[in-house]
Amino acid sequence: MSAARPPKPSPPWALYGVILAVVGGMTLWSAFGVGLSAREIVCNLGGGTRLLRESWPPDFGFLPRLWGPFLETLQIALIGTVVGGIIAIPVAVLAARPVSPNWITWFLDRNFMNVLRTMPDLFWAMLFAAAVGFGPLAGALALSVFTVAVVSKLFSESMESIDLNLPEAVRAAGGSWVQMVRFSVLPQVWPHYASYVMYAFELNVRASMVLGLVGAGGIGMILNTQRASFEYERVTMIILMVLVAVLVIEQISIAIRRRLI
Amino acid sequence: MSDPTPSSGAPAIRYRNANITYAGGVAAMKDLTLDIAPGQFAVIVGSSGAGKSTLMRSVNGLIPLTSGSVEIFGRPVPTKPGPELRRLRADIGMIFQDFRLVKRLTVLDNVLIGRLAHVPGWRSLLGLWPKKDIEIAFDALERVGIPDKAYVKASQLSGGQQQRVGIARALAQQPKVILADEPVASLDPITSHQVMQDLVRINRELGITTIINLHFLDLAKRYGQRIIGLRHGELVYDGAGDTVTDRQFLEIYGRPPEEDDFLGSAHS
Repeated sequence: MSAARPPKPSPPWALYGVILAVVGGMTLWSAFGVGLSAREIVCNLGGGTRLLRESWPPDFGFLPRLWGPFLETLQIALIGTVVGGIIAIPVAVLAARPVSPNWITWFLDRNFMNVLRTMPDLFWAMLFAAAVGFGPLAGALALSVFTVAVVSKLFSESMESIDLNLPEAVRAAGGSWVQMVRFSVLPQVWPHYASYVMYAFELNVRASMVLGLVGAGGIGMILNTQRASFEYERVTMIILMVLVAVLVIEQISIAIRRRLI
Repeated sequence: MSDPTPSSGAPAIRYRNANITYAGGVAAMKDLTLDIAPGQFAVIVGSSGAGKSTLMRSVNGLIPLTSGSVEIFGRPVPTKPGPELRRLRADIGMIFQDFRLVKRLTVLDNVLIGRLAHVPGWRSLLGLWPKKDIEIAFDALERVGIPDKAYVKASQLSGGQQQRVGIARALAQQPKVILADEPVASLDPITSHQVMQDLVRINRELGITTIINLHFLDLAKRYGQRIIGLRHGELVYDGAGDTVTDRQFLEIYGRPPEEDDFLGSAHS
């Protein structure tokens, strides 16, 4: 025996209407705010095309002089990833709720991570440039902090979904908290960690270009000087090189990460 | 600090008026008074929710008593975490229904987890196990008959082999007490009997006091030197395994035994 079929409930039209009105209203408000106007865009397109014309073709003759700064960029990204990746491990462990030893540690570390993440990498670059002087060291330090922010957040989240029965087995054998983390928590999440560190390296290669703009070393510094002296064909060359490098690193990283998880 | 060697004459496990009440008000242990003699092989039976797992976890302090006392070879189980509790746990091996192995690590690494409380912290963290402890781990693997699997990843073993690794991990602790929480519930009947026979043999050979939670009546009857029946957190039966009757099972389970209560097969 089955109960009578219920009538199909009518969709919440009023709710849909409100959502549409709110989203539409906010979009219009923002468009006026930034001065979005079709006429102005069309009329000023000429300026943009002139810049593009001047930037073409890329100055391949400039390439040999890019190698040094490019390698420096890679070094900045690599040091930042390694140093930040190592520091991120304890930061992430203490911020994972089921692993963290107590509520206060968890709370403090969580907020520490939030502060790190809120600050843009440019801020860290300027801070360290002021502290240790302009150059690649400032960039590497800035990216270390940036890497801690990215990796610790992702890593602590993957630690919140581990099998919590394993830690009980280690505790039952008389293991300490550190041993519990080392032998029952981390083995479950190493592949995730490796994947996040690779991802951070990708981000760091890209970010280390931008960091050069504030004097934190690498290829970004060359980019800045060429742009300032209107050498747009060289700027194109630099951007092209960065584009290729980022694509290659991304593909390698994606291929490795796919095998990890 | 308490005496690390068992005081002679003290029972292996001694409960006096022990109670455990969970935060929600559920009483999982009610006024338990119980002695288990050194070297005994005791089986705890009862339907799910009877408090078997709670009893087991109060032996090594994973669940603290609400009131009353529990002593292991004369040493009271500390109610707070710390070095004292870790030292006590080092003497108590635990075996789980779901094996609780680190699947990604090798069998040997899993067994070495049983040595964690015995090696300096920094050595264990770096994986620099002393030769003596690796030797102990291999001995434990030999006792359960799978030393050849030492360098295989735990995830590649069958269920029965994984539980043997679980037993080896407990043995590597060189424990005075072994707790086995439903050790065969995830295994097929034939493997179940093999694992039970392993546990009995280890109990005889090494004289380690062994407590096992089981829900299959025939397994309990066949292997239990002593059967302890729990119902709603209360001790309702305590006697020899071979003399327990259907009427007494009725008392423990609150219903007559059914087919599901027996493992069947491979029954000699």
